[in-house]
This record gives sequence, C-alpha cells and structure tokens, in this order.
Amino acid sequence: MKLEIGNFHVEDIRFGDSTEFNDGILTINKDEALQVVKEDRHITDADIKIVKPGDQVRLVPVKEAIEPRYRMDEGPLFPGVTGNLQQVGDGMTVALKGTSVLVVGKHWGGFQDGLIDMAGEGAKYTYFSQLKNIVLVADTDEEFEKREQQKKNKALRWAGMRLAEYIGRSVSNQDPDEIEEFELDPITKRDTDTSELPGVVLVMQPQTQMEEDGYNALNYGWNANHMLPTLMHPNEVLDGAMISGSFMPCSSKWSTYDFQNFNLIKRLYEEHGETVNFLGVIMSNLNVALEQKERSAQFVANIASNLGAEAAIVAEEGYGNPDADYIACLVALEDAGIKTVGVSNEATGRDGESQPLVSLDPKADALVSTGNVSELIKLPPMETVIGELEALARDGLSGGWEDDEELGSSVKEDGSIVMENNSMFCGDGVAGWSTKTMKEF
Amino acid sequence: MSNKAVVYINQFFGQIGGEEAADHEPEVRDGVAGAAQAIAPNFDGEIVKTVICGDNYMSSNQDKAVAKILGELEDVDFDIFFAGPAFQAGRYGNACGAIGKAVKEEFNVPVVSSMNVENPGVDMFKKHIYIFPGGHSAAKMRDDAKKMAEFGNKLLNEEGPFLAEEEGFYKRGIRHQYFLPDETPAADRAIDMLLKKINGEEYQSELPIPEQDLVEIAPAIQDLSSTKIALVTSGGIVPVENPDKIQSASATRWGKYNIAGQDKLENRASNKYKTIHAGYDPAAADADPNRVVPLDALRKYQEEGRIGEIHDYFYSTVGTGTTEGEAARMGAEIAGELLEANVQAVILTST
Repeated sequence: MKLEIGNFHVEDIRFGDSTEFNDGILTINKDEALQVVKEDRHITDADIKIVKPGDQVRLVPVKEAIEPRYRMDEGPLFPGVTGNLQQVGDGMTVALKGTSVLVVGKHWGGFQDGLIDMAGEGAKYTYFSQLKNIVLVADTDEEFEKREQQKKNKALRWAGMRLAEYIGRSVSNQDPDEIEEFELDPITKRDTDTSELPGVVLVMQPQTQMEEDGYNALNYGWNANHMLPTLMHPNEVLDGAMISGSFMPCSSKWSTYDFQNFNLIKRLYEEHGETVNFLGVIMSNLNVALEQKERSAQFVANIASNLGAEAAIVAEEGYGNPDADYIACLVALEDAGIKTVGVSNEATGRDGESQPLVSLDPKADALVSTGNVSELIKLPPMETVIGELEALARDGLSGGWEDDEELGSSVKEDGSIVMENNSMFCGDGVAGWSTKTMKEF
Repeated sequence: MSNKAVVYINQFFGQIGGEEAADHEPEVRDGVAGAAQAIAPNFDGEIVKTVICGDNYMSSNQDKAVAKILGELEDVDFDIFFAGPAFQAGRYGNACGAIGKAVKEEFNVPVVSSMNVENPGVDMFKKHIYIFPGGHSAAKMRDDAKKMAEFGNKLLNEEGPFLAEEEGFYKRGIRHQYFLPDETPAADRAIDMLLKKINGEEYQSELPIPEQDLVEIAPAIQDLSSTKIALVTSGGIVPVENPDKIQSASATRWGKYNIAGQDKLENRASNKYKTIHAGYDPAAADADPNRVVPLDALRKYQEEGRIGEIHDYFYSTVGTGTTEGEAARMGAEIAGELLEANVQAVILTST
C-alpha cells in the first residue's frame, strides 16, 4: 500500500472572491464556504474566522480539528462518514499544511469540548495554537443536547469535515510543494534486511466507551465500540479511515487532525527499515465492562504475537476508567513476550498526589507521560473570544466549573480564567506532540 | 531585606544533654544555638531563632510540644524553617517531621530537613516537607546541613522548578506536568524508549510503577465453629471522645476498644461510637457503627454456633491518606496483639 500526501504549505490565510491557493496564500470565499457548512439544515447560524499564532484570541468551546484535504480520486475525505465507503491509504491525497479547520460552538459547550489560546501563556498548552486556523463558529438546532453535558456535536463536526474537504479541493489541480510517501510492503513480502529488524506494532486505543451511538470514534464510519481489535495499515489511519469521537475530557482527545497526522505513526515510518520493521497498526478500543477490556487486550496480544511482533507501542485516548484497558493491554503484550512502551497522560490531581493511573502494574515498565489532566491553569483575559467564554464555567467542560469553594467560577468578570488542563483542546498530545512529561516535585 | 530562618534541633544538638535530657521541654532561643551553627555558614540570611526540644518530650507529648512551639513562633518573622539534620535517629527524625509539617501548615513557609534513608521519619514526612538524604551520624553534620541551607537559598530565591531528581530530596509522590526544556515530543521519547527496551539498554520510564508488596490471600478456614475471630477496621470507628486521638486522615495511631459482653456497638446519638474518618460521609456510620464494625451480625453467628468466639477488643484506625509504611507498621503491631490473644481469624473492614 502506498499513500502519497501532497503537501501545500500555507503561509497565510485570507478571505477573498474565490477559494484558491496561490504562492502559499490560501484565500477563502466566505459565502461559498458557508454554503457548504449550511448544507445541513441543522446548522442555524455560522461564521468563519481566521486566527493565527500570536493573535490575542481565545477559542472556546472547541469541538474538533480537521486538516483540510482532498482525495485525488475524488472519493470522500472520510469514507463511511462523509460519503460512501471506499478503501483509503493507497493513492494520492492533497493536504494544506500548517493549518486546521477548528469547529467552535457559538454558544454551547460540553464535557468533551476544549479551549485554545492563540497567544500568551495559554498558547503553550495546545498544538493547535501553532497553526493558522480556519475557525467555523456555529450554532445548531440540536435542542435535545443543548444543555446536556455530553454532546454528540454531530452537525458541527460534520460541517467541519465538509468545510475541510471544500478548502482542500482548492489545491486539487496544482502541484504540491512536496510529496510525503508512506509505503509498506505486505508483511510477508518484505526484503530480508527489513524482515530481520525487530517487528513493531502500534496499538491505538481510541475512545469508544459510550454505549449510545454518536459519541465514539468511528472506523470507516463504524462505531469502534462495536469492533474487536483489528489489524490496519497505518496509511488508513493517516488517510481518513478514523474520525474523532465526542466524549473524552478534552486534553485527552484525539481530534480528527491528530488521526490524520498521528505523530507516532510518522515516527515509526521514519524508523522502518532502519531500526525496526513497522508491522502495522492494531486498532483497538476502550470499553466499559471488565470482560470487554480483557477481550480487547487478549485480541491485541494475539494479533501482535501472530504477526511476530517483538515490540509494541500502546497509545491511550483518555484517562481514569480506560487506564484499566491501557494497563491490561500493556500487560497482555508483555505476557506474550512483546516489549511494550505505553503513551498516555496521568491524573495526579491538582495537588499532584493522586495515583497517576487508575490501574498500575509493574509489567508496565516503560511509560511515556504526556501531562496531568488536573493541573490547574490560570490565564489572563484575551482581547477576543471566539465562541462563548461563559461555556467554560456553565456547560460542564471537563476542566471548568461554575463554582469552587476556593477558586470561585472558572470564568472571572474581567475575562481571566482558571481551569484544569482537562479542557485544553487535545492538550496532552498523546498522538505524539506533547512536549510535556510528568516529574516528581 | 535578608532572609530569616528558624532552626529546630533536639536536646543533644542543642547542647543541653544526651538521653538524660530527652524529656527537655521545648524552648525557643534567640539567634543561633548549638548545631544550628552548621546551617548558618551556607544560608544566605539570618537565623533568627533556634528551637530546642527533647526527643522524648516531643514523642510522648507531641500535640503539646507542637502547640507550644507554634505559639512561640507566632510573632516571629521568618521565611523558612530548617529541622535537623536528624541522621538515622528515629525519634529525632519523627520530631523534625512533626514540627516541620505543623510549621508549614501554620505559617506557610517552606520546611527543609535531612535524614538518613533508614530513618522512619523519611516515609512519614517526605510528602509534607523537603527531606534530603543524610548520613548515619553526626559525622555528616557539615555535609547534610550544607545541602539543607543551599536548597533553602534556592527556594527563597525562587530558582525553581525544584524537581526531586535535580535537587536530590526524597521523592514525595507529588507529580506535576512539566514542559521539557528541550521540547522533545512524546513520539520521539516513545521511540527512544522502545529502541532501548528492544536492545536491552537502560531507559527511564516516565511513570515508574512503585514496587508492590502484595500479601498472599490466606487459605479459607474450614471450620469456623471453633475459631476465635477479631474485628479490625480502617473505617475510623472509635468511642465518641476518640481517646487515642486517632487522626481523621493520614493516621499514624490505632486504638483497641473493649466489646466484651456487648451485643452491638451503640451509636453516636447514644454517645458511644462514631467514625472520625474524613474520607467518607459519616452519616451512616455514625447512625449505626455496626455497618463498619459488624459486631451485631457476628454476635448472631456466635449465638448460632457458626463461629467460636469473638475477640474482646476491636481495633480501629483511619485508612484515608495513610501511607503504606504507616499502615504496615500499624498492621504488624495489631497482628502481634491478635496472635498473643490466640485470635485465628480477622474480619478487616475498609470503607
């Protein structure tokens, strides 16, 4: 399978008469773009804004991030989600780099939504502060969940995907600045030099703990709660097979952008043929019942064993209850004789004194920690807020609160905020971005 | 304005006397006294007071001693508190920890101490105050005191971030997120760790899992009808006056209470038993302490001949925030008593 991603480096983004890309400048025809957004009648109100690193802008509640792309065979960007099912990971997809479509609620947020500061102290907490972002800020008529803490955010997330594809189309008839190639021969057809290197699998545990449809990560449109762990080609993940769910506390979230650019996959590709033989991705999930957790761990270890994997990396989207899935998977792999490294965040509490993971096992002896979900963060007011600042306090965001005995509300009258890292949009960068670790103080 | 420190030392290092003076009541002297001199040369500031207290006095009258010292320090202007170094001296280590923790909580100043790794004060207090690894004996006084003073300077100059691995104090189980100065992303760290693990090279897990000291589950007792059973709880059930002053959290004390001839535990409203545990809603346990210490049910079993005997005492402590080390010590002490009383089985209730 050979995937080519044709990259166009975006130097600047503006509004203009037509949506086009010239010499690094992305121009967007706002009216046309909004028509694409409003193809769904559930979108009642929408606007598009452009924010860049250094802008004195705070975005909240942020629901999703998607890299603008276009599939050169004209197939849907997210098969099974935004269009018919088709195989991805082979062929050419073009991408606008250094930018993302951010989806922000005009008013209403929820547990799974987050915050991004584009400048100042807060900018260091999320990867998306470093991108030039096309911000869709919109409202919907999804009355049933307006005041629910858990939101499916369906209309907004799907509008974001349409918008990303619409913008991606602007470069479909141009030569990219560079082409990234992702190619792996079938596992049994690799040259001797590669086959003799230690075989490595990447085990991904996207968030799938909601029983009801609409909240979980989707695999080619299929609720990943309803699947057993399966072998996937890493190119499929990079090329739109997976979309983010709408459930997890936000710093733990893997946005769709994260799947499209999964740093751990890219790093394993770099090592492939040099230090390791990258066998592929075992797409697992996260479950609620103990037997489901154990079943998934067993499937992962068995697939890895039968692929002849010598080593594995396990990445967990979430914390708390799913730590049990994470540790069970690490232990199952170690028990199968596979040398395993885990990547996840921790939850040590505001005082740093709580047990870092819900479940611990001495066999999990090689862990990368990407942050503390409950770290307290205080940030000054920002000139401009896109969305609604009050959502952080009012709507049950995982790192915000209406009242706290010591700290009061998360949102102060002057626009300054106090929050837990929990609500930093994809802040713990488990996909591999995080420059944070955990230390003993 | 120069920094001001208060130093705590015991009767020996205060040059009052050895074991014969261990009951010396706490006193607060102006300026530098006794071994506080070891701190002075490396501390960028002034030692304004030296507190001297007998080790025995502190261990047998801790609340009183702490209250007296806190009272005398109330009007003292100081920025940092040094306790020790205490080397391997157990009672001295405990005293440094106890007064250090109290000073930190009362005056919100940093507290720095030094103890040998074998000193039980390390596990008891490393979470509450900074404790540096120290020597076995006073031969290391100069080195240990220097470490304390120099770290004190750094704290007061706010030359953070004060990571345990960089500064060298005992790890405290306090984990916070930290931006790596070299900004190495998690993916690179994961690959690096993976390759080292594959190649059998040394690597550092970013989340070391503490050693687990698991106790094997004992085999089931076949015949309970002749078994003597004791009730033990970490649920904090005590007589309402809490005669043993067991702490509501982070307990270091346990108590035993006579239940001979009682059908059940009377409740708080009857002025008999209540819970002092701060980790759960006490309403149900106060209304009926038997739900934590099930004496009523056990008496019925006894009447029915299903169990042999109930030990005349139940044992109680508080499990919330209690360190593993303290829990193990208390458990061993209680187990010793139970073995002596020929108890063959224990019902251990947690909450």
